[in-house]
Amino acid sequence: MEYEKGFLWSFGLCIVLFCALCPSVLPAVDNSDCFDCHSDESLTKESTDNVLQVEITESLYVDEDRFAKSIHNLNGVACIDCHSDIEELDWNEEVPHRSYLERVLCVSCHEDAGEEFKNSVHMKMRTKGITMTCYACHGYHYVQQMEGASVAERTNSICLKCHNPNQFHEWLPSGDAHFAHVECVVCHAPDVPRHIDLRFYDLLTKKFLNGNELREIIGHDLDKILEIIDGDHNEIIDMNEFDDLYFMLKQKNIRPTLRAELVADINSIAHQINRKSAQRTCESCHASDSPYFNAVSILLTGDDTSVDRYDVDRAILASYYVSDFYLLGGTRVKLLDKIGLLIIAGGAFTALGHFIIRELTGSLRQGKKDDTGRSA
Amino acid sequence: MNNGQLMYLYPLPVRVWHWVNACGFVVLIFTGMQIRYAEMLSFMTLPHAIAVHNYTGFIVMADFFIWLVYYLASGNVRVYIPAQRNLAALILKQVQYYGYGIFVGKPNPHISTPENKFNPLQQLVYLGIMFVFLPAQMMSGLFLWQVKKYEEYINLLGGIKLLDTVHVLLFFFFTSYLFLHCYLATLGKTPFARFKAMFTGYDQYGG
Repeated sequence: MEYEKGFLWSFGLCIVLFCALCPSVLPAVDNSDCFDCHSDESLTKESTDNVLQVEITESLYVDEDRFAKSIHNLNGVACIDCHSDIEELDWNEEVPHRSYLERVLCVSCHEDAGEEFKNSVHMKMRTKGITMTCYACHGYHYVQQMEGASVAERTNSICLKCHNPNQFHEWLPSGDAHFAHVECVVCHAPDVPRHIDLRFYDLLTKKFLNGNELREIIGHDLDKILEIIDGDHNEIIDMNEFDDLYFMLKQKNIRPTLRAELVADINSIAHQINRKSAQRTCESCHASDSPYFNAVSILLTGDDTSVDRYDVDRAILASYYVSDFYLLGGTRVKLLDKIGLLIIAGGAFTALGHFIIRELTGSLRQGKKDDTGRSA
Repeated sequence: MNNGQLMYLYPLPVRVWHWVNACGFVVLIFTGMQIRYAEMLSFMTLPHAIAVHNYTGFIVMADFFIWLVYYLASGNVRVYIPAQRNLAALILKQVQYYGYGIFVGKPNPHISTPENKFNPLQQLVYLGIMFVFLPAQMMSGLFLWQVKKYEEYINLLGGIKLLDTVHVLLFFFFTSYLFLHCYLATLGKTPFARFKAMFTGYDQYGG
């Protein structure tokens, strides 16, 4: 009996504790609850369009797979974290929550981005009555992870929604080459920190080599290999260490070409875009000591949206390993300049030397009647 | 041999081609230097240098075709083709002349005639330049003009770095060649005799 009483007390206490702790451990509304209805493609609601004053059918479908890969989900942001006015679901009702939800305020989390956006040309558009919301560029449910995104993925999913790069860039030589290797905001938000992403690239199929494929071929994580390659453990791979890496990959029959892309860091300053404040001084980039190329790293992306990154010495940009990127003048191979100096000096000094010897030997030729002994 | 006799060595198309090419080369070299060494030189802005380089490049390309058409149509292209059996020996003789004979007043072993304009050394160098190096420079330049548009071809050739290396090495070669060519041109009867000949078309026989 004593034993039974003690057990009942402990059990009861556990129940009470569990109930007390439950709300802070488990969400009142789980994502799966939302997807019970919202994964249905036919889920819609009727509403009135504000502008045209007509009845429209809005889709309430959310693609679960796409949401799973979104940066919000990857960071553990749940449905009700944004839709915070939903506290519980009443399954007795046809619509288990309020029919009209409050507007989601992105700046409640993305405060910095909001601050930077305030002084931008896109904000000025709002003052002219154009609806320029965060989601106009970024979307909301399927916001892509930008960390490992290529230039094409970044610009295509955001800037190119509205902007045509072929306009206003006639002054830019090789505009299409710039658009392929440089993200829009790098020039258009000139204060945003930027870095070079180096990725293994197949020149012939024009595709990035997938991190998973490389891992399979090599046998283990490239990230681990990169740690091993970094012999002096200074967390950066220099040219000598990179030669080892290249050799190792060649032994596994991977002929790596590296493609470099200049992209912005994931930083709120990228929102600071204004008319006439874009970078137009070519020499700020096209210089071998340009600060834009201080941060260079090798990037591997996986199918599971994982991103491995390892810093490398910026000198690698000027090497022949990076054959799918050439910053005119800036990442030139400096050895060629030395060779060039020898070639040009050779020619010039040969001419000068020959001339000097001719002048010095002038007396040997004097007196010779027939001076036809000269012909080029 | 009549040493005072004038020979018509350089027909008009050749002269036009030569001077357009010469000016083109000089402009290309200067703008090329500005492009490659933008951080060290600033006699032009980079976009300006690129624009001038591109236009001049196309002029030189068009000019090359004037040369090609003229020489093929007239059959005179044979002056570039080494035809002698003892070519190596002739080349050696020419080298000996430039390296020694010329200093002591010996006559040039080669006498220029319209049918045999170039000495063996010139022939070899010009053959290389006109049929290999200049076409290579023009092709590499063309691809570099529109790197994105021609990226298929550029990648097949090994990527843009490699292509640019070819273009840059040839740039160094042509610059060096220009020094030597202009100097050698002063080795006529008088320092400006050859320059005058390339304007008038007439050069003195044996001179």
